[in-house]
Amino acid sequence: MATRRAFLAGMAAAALPRLTWADAGSPAYVAAAKTGDAFALYGLTAEGAAVFTVPLPARGHAAAAHPTRPEVVAFARRPGTFALVMNAARGTVAHRLAPPDGMQFNGHGTFSADGAVLYTSEQRAAGSEGRLGLWAADDSYRRIGDLPTGGIGPHDILRDGDTLWVANGGIDTDPDDRTKLNIATMAPSLVRLGADGAVLDDIRLPADLHQLSIRHLALAPGGLAFAMQWEGDAAETPPLLGLWADGKVILGDAGPEAGRMRNYTGSIACAGEQVVLTSPPGGIAACFGLDGALRQIVARTDVSGVARRGSGFILTDGTGAVTALHDGALDPLATGGPQWDNHLIAIG
Amino acid sequence: MLRSLILSVLLVTPVMADPVKDYILPATERFAAATEDLAKVAAGSCDAAVLQPAWNTAMDAFLDVQFLNFGPVEAEGRAVTLAFWPDPKGIGQRQMQGLLAAADPAVLTAEGMAQQSAAVRGLVGLERMVFADPPLTGTYPCALIAATAADLDVTARAIRDEWPAFAQLLATAGEAGNTTFLSRAEATQTLFTPLMSGLEFVRDRRIGRPLGTFDAPAPQKAEMRAAGRGLQNITRSLQAMRAYTVALAPQAEKTLAAFDSALLAADAVEDGSFANINDPQAWLKLDILRQRVEALQAVALDEVGGVLGAGVGFNAADGD
Repeated sequence: MATRRAFLAGMAAAALPRLTWADAGSPAYVAAAKTGDAFALYGLTAEGAAVFTVPLPARGHAAAAHPTRPEVVAFARRPGTFALVMNAARGTVAHRLAPPDGMQFNGHGTFSADGAVLYTSEQRAAGSEGRLGLWAADDSYRRIGDLPTGGIGPHDILRDGDTLWVANGGIDTDPDDRTKLNIATMAPSLVRLGADGAVLDDIRLPADLHQLSIRHLALAPGGLAFAMQWEGDAAETPPLLGLWADGKVILGDAGPEAGRMRNYTGSIACAGEQVVLTSPPGGIAACFGLDGALRQIVARTDVSGVARRGSGFILTDGTGAVTALHDGALDPLATGGPQWDNHLIAIG
Repeated sequence: MLRSLILSVLLVTPVMADPVKDYILPATERFAAATEDLAKVAAGSCDAAVLQPAWNTAMDAFLDVQFLNFGPVEAEGRAVTLAFWPDPKGIGQRQMQGLLAAADPAVLTAEGMAQQSAAVRGLVGLERMVFADPPLTGTYPCALIAATAADLDVTARAIRDEWPAFAQLLATAGEAGNTTFLSRAEATQTLFTPLMSGLEFVRDRRIGRPLGTFDAPAPQKAEMRAAGRGLQNITRSLQAMRAYTVALAPQAEKTLAAFDSALLAADAVEDGSFANINDPQAWLKLDILRQRVEALQAVALDEVGGVLGAGVGFNAADGD
């Protein structure tokens, strides 16, 4: 009997094969991109080769990859009106998510460790109050609730074990045209939320740096690295990298090279003891140590996407190039691709 | 008949623009020559009447290369060191006073100055000392001026000496082994971007800071008030970028006309230091100049960008 039952169970499993990332060509990364006037989401191997492409109705921003199923959620650029759950193996849109009335997606999201819940970065259209949207990924991405992010204008969110970090950028934006409404009084924060929504950490920068909008996040050994953009006097070049560990914030120090970031960072990634920040207007990727000191800068036109690749990094840029960065040296992997958009998201 | 027609068509085919050979390399030569002269003058005299003309010449030559803010000009923090401005917190003034008070002899060489903060080095560091009121006198201040000029000259020579190798990288864009420029388009983009960022710097900093708003002009935010060069810096950098545009895209006639229109508006500004910017008439004239530069930016992006097939980077233009 036991054998017969096991046989039947096996038959059932075979009849309903679960798709895995291997069915999507085993991409290591996903990224949004533009070709001509068309937008799409791509899956890329660690060598920079595209293994799948799914068209997007408008410009994308970041994405979230399901930990086990070949599902990617592509987020629209802020102020976002859609998020598309794509089946990367079939190249189809499985679900279309819309924010609740009066809310906007903010371009980023992430999955819970088991892949059961999708979290989305959202804000109230009026006032930019930050909310974390919760969606049941195992139940057709049904909306199951939301939680306060403890700040306004949240941008990137990042899972850290059973907790979630939120970069509350602090900027109150006009719901329609992204005009910044509160630069003089903005107060960004880095908040860690427990699974129940409790605020576990609420990290703020010194008062004279309140115009540093905390935008993007990466896990670092023993803590977190965060990338910022400066909304204050353009004559100043404050640190754009922050490192949080052991309850303390260390700010990056780029010395006389600080101006080369043009007070703007695109993305951030960590590998081992190194953190890389990209600056598209500066056309550079800057590599820092965990002590916040600048190690080296490499020049790549319109570079923005960055992710870990082994013990080094992989960069994507608006010229269509995918480049490996290792020990301060660039190694072109692919050129002539689409114009890679802001972020490169590692799968898994 | 047909043959001669074909020949004449071939003859009028435009020669490939070569902004590196026609503009950049000569400009870096001129800048290094001017700083060499300034360093020599400063080594032999501490008289402001002698130093100021040499500094002004070096400053004009610097404006010809300042907007080329990539490659050798940008490397090693040089762009910041050469001209530490704006400096809204007055860091340079404070640090220079600290240097004078400490009177450390180790600072008094080009190498010693190279170890100092960018805020006291370069042309802005020199302006502060060469145009000091009352004038700086005494052995240490005079030696500090000479050392600062010598350090500036080292930087200008490094830019001149490094440019030929960088030019080679631009010329071999897209070829195997060139990891700096993976395609011709990237090299073109690199040559186009400084035009746009240079115009933005003129509009937002050189004009925008003293201009402030109609209700709140800010004469104290003007560039190089001690030397009274606020307007001269605008005019000279516009002339420099116009000459660069001629070398980069000679057919960009609308852009060149827009440069001329902006330069005419600059001519109409009366007080070159912007000290009178609280006067509504003076304010309006500077605001007209700002509008002309803004119009020039749009034309250049459209026309020069179009000619070159370049633009503002996809991510750089509109990030998040």
